[in-house]
Amino acid sequence: MSASRQGALPLGVPASDPPFSGTPAGTAAARAAAAPALSTGHSALDACLPGGGWPLGALVELMPARAGIGELSLLLPALARLARGRRWLVWVAPPWIPYAPALATAGVDPARVLLVHPRTPGERLWAAVQAARSPAAAAVLAWLPAALPPVALRRLQLAAAGGDRLAVLFRPPAAADRPSPAAVRIRLAPEGAERLRLEVLKRRGGWPTRLTLPRPAPCA
Amino acid sequence: MLWLCLRLPRLPLEVRSRAMRRGGPPLAVADPERRRVVAADGRARARGVRPGMGLAAARTLCAGLRVLPRDPGAEAEALARLAAWAGRFSDRVGLAPPCSVLVEVGGSLRLFGGAERLRLKVAAGLESLGYTFRLAAAPTPLAARWLAQARPGSWVPDTAALETALDALPLDLPLETVPAQALERLRAWGLRRLGEVMRLPRAGLARRAGPELPAALDRARGLAPDPVAPFAPPAAYRGRLELPAPCADAGALAFALRRLLAELEGWLAGRDGAVTRLTLTLGHAGGAATPLALPLAAPCADAARLLELLRLRLERTRLPAPVLSLTLESGPAEPAAPRTGELLGAGAEGPREAPAALLDRLAARLGRGALAGIAPADDHRPERAWRRVAPAPTGDRRRDGRGRAPPSGEPPPPGQRPLWLLPRPRPLPARRGMACLPEGLRLVAGPERIDTGWWDGRPVARDYYVAETPEGARWWVFRERRGARGWYLHGLFA
Repeated sequence: MSASRQGALPLGVPASDPPFSGTPAGTAAARAAAAPALSTGHSALDACLPGGGWPLGALVELMPARAGIGELSLLLPALARLARGRRWLVWVAPPWIPYAPALATAGVDPARVLLVHPRTPGERLWAAVQAARSPAAAAVLAWLPAALPPVALRRLQLAAAGGDRLAVLFRPPAAADRPSPAAVRIRLAPEGAERLRLEVLKRRGGWPTRLTLPRPAPCA
Repeated sequence: MLWLCLRLPRLPLEVRSRAMRRGGPPLAVADPERRRVVAADGRARARGVRPGMGLAAARTLCAGLRVLPRDPGAEAEALARLAAWAGRFSDRVGLAPPCSVLVEVGGSLRLFGGAERLRLKVAAGLESLGYTFRLAAAPTPLAARWLAQARPGSWVPDTAALETALDALPLDLPLETVPAQALERLRAWGLRRLGEVMRLPRAGLARRAGPELPAALDRARGLAPDPVAPFAPPAAYRGRLELPAPCADAGALAFALRRLLAELEGWLAGRDGAVTRLTLTLGHAGGAATPLALPLAAPCADAARLLELLRLRLERTRLPAPVLSLTLESGPAEPAAPRTGELLGAGAEGPREAPAALLDRLAARLGRGALAGIAPADDHRPERAWRRVAPAPTGDRRRDGRGRAPPSGEPPPPGQRPLWLLPRPRPLPARRGMACLPEGLRLVAGPERIDTGWWDGRPVARDYYVAETPEGARWWVFRERRGARGWYLHGLFA
């Protein structure tokens, strides 16, 4: 052991902090708290995420168990806020048609929505990177497969870094087993018919956690 | 008045060679009839090839020399485009064929921050266009031309210094607008400098060396008027560049494009405008041509951005054959929107990008058909309650193709609408006949009856319900009431 590293345990953990006692101390939490974040609209989720909301300038990965369980509604409050500006909400390779009347009712201005339908996986990744990098986009939602080369995710993360955009990747639940540089990774599953269970697999400045949120009831 | 002369001594060569990067065989341009070299590039000159030499001698000195025929039409066109480019420095530009352009910069010195800065800008601009140049400035156009040829780099700011500068001009170089025989005769008399000529008695000089010489001297010294015909820049830009060798490499094409775009930028700066439409035509052997159109969502005057968009467009194109020539045409120059800054801070990044720029970039690589916007429409039929529209970058009102704004303040639909709509309703597997609900689905809201559309031949008669699947998803299903009754899935409540 070199004598120069005084006061440090062999693993490099500062001696003053007991291990496994809550949030990891050190620069990661401080950095996460300093990063800009956009409130999700659900206070329970805001309390879990670093910075109190969706991180801007970093990737958010959502992995719903299947479609139709409330995965988009989770983002609606944030999207409604972002749609009030003059920048685009870019949807890259959405699996179905975002229904304009429903978006308008939810408060998201359909005029700000830009749908991009690339023909090849290469074009899809390129379009997502361009939108994540462009200051003209307020949010990027991209539907990507489970099998992605890690360099692709790294490119997306670099494109989003330093910006003030919301960058959300929707991936199948099988992607949860693969490593990813996203700042926040959440696996979504329905809990009964009325609630949505969120498993936060990764978040900066915190250990994995889980919570449930109520789904809006269908009006008769 | 201060006239700046931009002289291009190697114009016959550079109209052919500036599209190419360094590399390749030594190049020379020859006069086809008289079979003499007109201009040669650096590598050929290093081997001893000089203008005026015969072709056979040139080929002997420099093995592997590539000789291209001279194209006076292309030279004149290139000179005209250079004059249009020079409009960014002044509004008074004139042509001085065969290879010079005159720009009156006296009025622009203050705008560009002084003579030195202007000279550096002009030099940098000419380098980016790919030309070898000689610059000189003088109070009269003819003196500027003489100085550009004999003493390039001189800057004579006023008439007092003009006399000194003209005095020192040597007589062994040709002087423009002075016949060569007159100069020969002066040299035969033993005169070496123009100053000595100016001190000779005028009448005798006119009688023995011809009247053009004293007239030229008067014009150069500013004693006689020398009007320069003003050059009017064209209404639309059209530039053509021939590549010295057929080329299929996108990088090399982009290099040649950069030259054309630099000219386009200068022309736009001179007219204070921006373009909304560019057409790049790639010429192939045998007269075939591939046109590539690049419409822009908003007027753009930035050469770097146009180059990026054209590169993306080129990447998407499959070339049928190697490219021999590039022709860039633009639409007419439209008034450019002035760049306004943000009052309350520009955010974390530097200059903001206009929304139109992102559209252009995506469209250049993916094609306009891959982008779409959405808008609600006034119709009870769910599949017609939304429309696909062209994405509009600015403004808060969405306009459809015919220029009508959609009605605002539409009443919200009575029932809940799903966030995802399927492009076509998907029939659900039935059990025990069509009229029963498929296995496992539980209806939680509805029915919402939609029965309309008889007037345009697409009637809809359906009962919509919100259903929950056993896996926890929430679906928007309907039961068809006309014809074959069955259950269909039309949307997902995501």
